Amino acid sequence: MSTDNPVLTVTDLEVHYGARRRRRQALNGVSLEVGRGEVVGLIGETGSGKSTFARAVLGLVPFSRGQVLIDGEDVTGHSQRKWRELRRRGVIQYVFQDPLRSLDPDATIEDSLVEPLLIRGDSRADAVARIRPLLSRVHLDDELLPRLPGELSGGQRQRVAVARALVTEPALIILDEPVSALDSANRVGVLEILKELRSAEVSLVFISHDLGSVAGVADRIAVMYQGQLVENGPARDVITAPQHVYTRLLIGSAPTLRSAAANRSERAALRALLHA
Amino acid sequence: MTTLSEQRVVAPPVTDEVVLAVHDVRIYDQVNDREIVHGISFQLTPGKVVGIVGESGSGKTLTCRAALGILPEHFAVSGGQIDITGRNIAQLTPAEWTDLRGATISAVFQDPASYLNPSIRVGSQIAEVIRVKTRASRRQARHRALELLALVHLRDPALVYDQYTFELSGGMLQRVLIATAIAADPTVLIADEATTALDVTVQAEILDLLADLQERTGLALLVVSHDLAVVAQLCDEVLVMREGHVVEQGPTTEVLQHPRHEYTRMLIAEHEQYGLDRYLDEH
Amino acid sequence: MTRRVFALGTGRLAVGILVFIGLLAVLGPYLAPHDPLASSTTTLAGSSWKHWLGTDYLGRDVSSRLLAGSRTSVLGSVEVALVALVVGVVPGLLSVYLGRVFEWTSLRLADTLIALPFLVFAVAVTALLGNGITQAMLVVGVLVSPLFFRVSRAATLAVARSQYVEAALISGASIGWVVRRHVWVKVLPAIAVALAQTIGVGFIVVSSLSFLGIGVQPPAPTWGGLLASDLNYLHFQPYAPIAPAALIMATVWGCNLLADAIRDVSGENGRALVNTRKARANGARLLPVESRTG
Repeated sequence: MSTDNPVLTVTDLEVHYGARRRRRQALNGVSLEVGRGEVVGLIGETGSGKSTFARAVLGLVPFSRGQVLIDGEDVTGHSQRKWRELRRRGVIQYVFQDPLRSLDPDATIEDSLVEPLLIRGDSRADAVARIRPLLSRVHLDDELLPRLPGELSGGQRQRVAVARALVTEPALIILDEPVSALDSANRVGVLEILKELRSAEVSLVFISHDLGSVAGVADRIAVMYQGQLVENGPARDVITAPQHVYTRLLIGSAPTLRSAAANRSERAALRALLHA
Repeated sequence: MTTLSEQRVVAPPVTDEVVLAVHDVRIYDQVNDREIVHGISFQLTPGKVVGIVGESGSGKTLTCRAALGILPEHFAVSGGQIDITGRNIAQLTPAEWTDLRGATISAVFQDPASYLNPSIRVGSQIAEVIRVKTRASRRQARHRALELLALVHLRDPALVYDQYTFELSGGMLQRVLIATAIAADPTVLIADEATTALDVTVQAEILDLLADLQERTGLALLVVSHDLAVVAQLCDEVLVMREGHVVEQGPTTEVLQHPRHEYTRMLIAEHEQYGLDRYLDEH
Repeated sequence: MTRRVFALGTGRLAVGILVFIGLLAVLGPYLAPHDPLASSTTTLAGSSWKHWLGTDYLGRDVSSRLLAGSRTSVLGSVEVALVALVVGVVPGLLSVYLGRVFEWTSLRLADTLIALPFLVFAVAVTALLGNGITQAMLVVGVLVSPLFFRVSRAATLAVARSQYVEAALISGASIGWVVRRHVWVKVLPAIAVALAQTIGVGFIVVSSLSFLGIGVQPPAPTWGGLLASDLNYLHFQPYAPIAPAALIMATVWGCNLLADAIRDVSGENGRALVNTRKARANGARLLPVESRTG
């Protein structure tokens, strides 16, 4: 893992929504770097700007200021055509929260898996040959290929979504709440797969509202609050010695198996501090 | 008129009277002709908190619905008995049910917005419940509703009273629903995945609120969640359900320290491996 | 989808009816036992060996006129449907992707077309372009096209905003790819339903136009024209309108049945419906159906 050749470098990113008087700032000067093979947990509550950050990095929403480098390429001010070329190379991929919505209900699992390869121009035969070894990597059976997404369990579907993100051998995958729609058994299964990916040369940005759900897989944790990055550091440091009040509240609020009676007054104090 | 909190603090119920008794309850699906819940038993006394943990489809929500007498169509209690404050609910008439719900047993669910009318101010909806349940006057009901909104830690009760659902966040809506649920001073409150859709910090706020209410008013709580940690934080006793079977049941500390069933061990391992716990242990 | 339509009893019935009508349209003129335009002195005769369905007020053989008229009637309604399809679906799809100006213009144009009164407009345009069946049906097709515009636009909109389309875009897909791979499959059932409906409508329109003397000119026979003249002689031949009416009704019914079948089998629910039926039917009975269509 080296940070001298980062996969993603975001500097001073600003995103606005709405026009004129309704104009509202969604991201306010966010800077973040993701090293090769690094797993970054991006944490924030609803409306904190974490999803906007991901969408800006993917070129889905325009940003008004700042600079974004993806695998060394400056994408600031890229045209639609240039974005399309970049995406076709499959350097950056995205996994949605709900695979039932992000997989075409009328396309077989095989169709969904080969789609990114066909888009970049591979032949169908090559593409199919490429996806086979991936299936074992996400612990799925070949038999699922001719099925439709509706015929799979939630956990299987999310593993298909992860496999789809892997087909182009990306340098970076952004995952938006990839396990929060799954039940315990499947959550562990998907987290296990993501953990195994770390040995491969792929960086992950793991977006979640729950610090607890990424603590086990992230090398580094970044916390967003009201459009700003308020915390950014190695997972251990952020969790054991948080700097910002919001991070302290976030850690104090994460459900743990310990008795929480003692934390209740602490949380109340942090809330008062945060809203002051 | 004394405030709600004063009333309750002055006379906290200290009886050991069982307010909700679920005895070997089985629930049957008449359409698919199979049993969904294969026997569940627990007892709630005032101030006690019992938690049920399980995945969707484990039968935990059906159990709650059975206790509230609102099982979906084609589902029926096929065995066992449920008593609310000593009365067997199987023998209740619809009129008696209406009296019981809200006043004795009440509930909050996952999606608060769908339980409130979007075109009526939230305060009026709470006041309506109070007027129906306690036959209070309009003025009294409004006064009481404002008290309740303060009790659930909403920062500006008077403002929230006149707002509509779309003006409130998910956490605020859930607090409004809790206020509505406790409006008629129930003895039992069921919280079925009440914090699932909320942000972590808001979830903690709601859980703290429930703990607070339980301590201050002696409310008996039944907390249902898919997350063992949520239940562990709040409950005295835990039931772990899987595919309609209760696979583990006992005092929370006992279950967490000496889990007997493999499934419970998996739930605990998930938190220890992937959750915050592994870092916090280092403290 | 074809296989799923055939799995439904109503689907097979609909296709059966439409194949029969199609055969009539192709072979009808050759099958006619008499010259459909030749009159004779035996007017308003009843059914006999020589004249299966009797003769009309000029002594022409009714069965020959029905058979000879089938081609014009069927072709006319198919023309209406195809014109409406082309004029409606393409802008319907594009209105989602070509930006605001095109979207606004096409929507207003569709609204305008809906507001125009059908028959009056058809009369006006045939007066302009000449009174022929092709011109008349072209006009009607354009007037019906807003149905296709709306249906295809609605289906496209629903798909365009879906996450799987966004997922494809993130993988670098172009709009053309998205339309071919994702949108088209979802829009097709909706269009098929509209198409079947329109053919039914087209039939009635061909008939009502020739009833008014627009499009097909007497003495050339159409089913609608036959029906109109038969109605004048109800007093002598009360049973005469039954045959042309039955043919028109059968075609419209077949189209509607097919439209219903397509709607039933498309989408998630449709698939589930067919699957349960498959599960219930025994495998032996079902296999031939599968192999026949697949």
